[in-house]
Amino acid sequence: MTTNLLAIINSSAPYNRNLGKESLDVALIFASFEQGVSLFFQGDGVYQLIDQQNPQKISAKDYLKTFSAFEFYDIEDIYICQESLTVRNLSESFHIDNVQVLPPETFAKHLAMHQQILRF
Amino acid sequence: MSILHLIRSSAFHRSDFEQCLSIAQSNDTIIFCDDGCYNLSHPLTTNLLAQENKLTIKVLQDHAQARAIIAPQTIEGITMEDLVSLTFTHDKVITWQ
Repeated sequence: MTTNLLAIINSSAPYNRNLGKESLDVALIFASFEQGVSLFFQGDGVYQLIDQQNPQKISAKDYLKTFSAFEFYDIEDIYICQESLTVRNLSESFHIDNVQVLPPETFAKHLAMHQQILRF
Repeated sequence: MSILHLIRSSAFHRSDFEQCLSIAQSNDTIIFCDDGCYNLSHPLTTNLLAQENKLTIKVLQDHAQARAIIAPQTIEGITMEDLVSLTFTHDKVITWQ
């Protein structure tokens, strides 16, 4: 169980008005100041995690590869909404590891344990 | 431990309100404001009102009236001042937009 200060909900698809990039920036900034951050992926946000993406095909910035730096930033509490995956027919093959796929009730309980919650 | 959920988008257009309901717990409060007022007549809301649950739903009066949306009796219309005081009676606020 974590007692991180900040929870960030990612609910947008990866190349949707760079909301994903902005959310990543906030997470890394908090983490670099040793503030506990947990990441929650819900809705279309789960598309940010699927493997084998090729942003260069649409000349989009590949900010997703920065996700591999999470460990370096001590961001270890990463939760994914299971229902959002099943509804979208997505398997659990992500381009980052040590993530936890949770059913909605547990996902909600974990989220409620944080003091501040931002949503992108 | 309660969360104040500000719903600012219509469930007819986006899935924010639906995602909010998937994480809302009892004793949380849901506020419809801005385009969230259109949710007053959405099935998600009518089903919620029909179920036994401890979720309270309110709507910002001015925002609903601005959009000619009439709130059903069971949903209380509030003012911005009420909304501000609600932020003190809840632990956290999440904006769904």
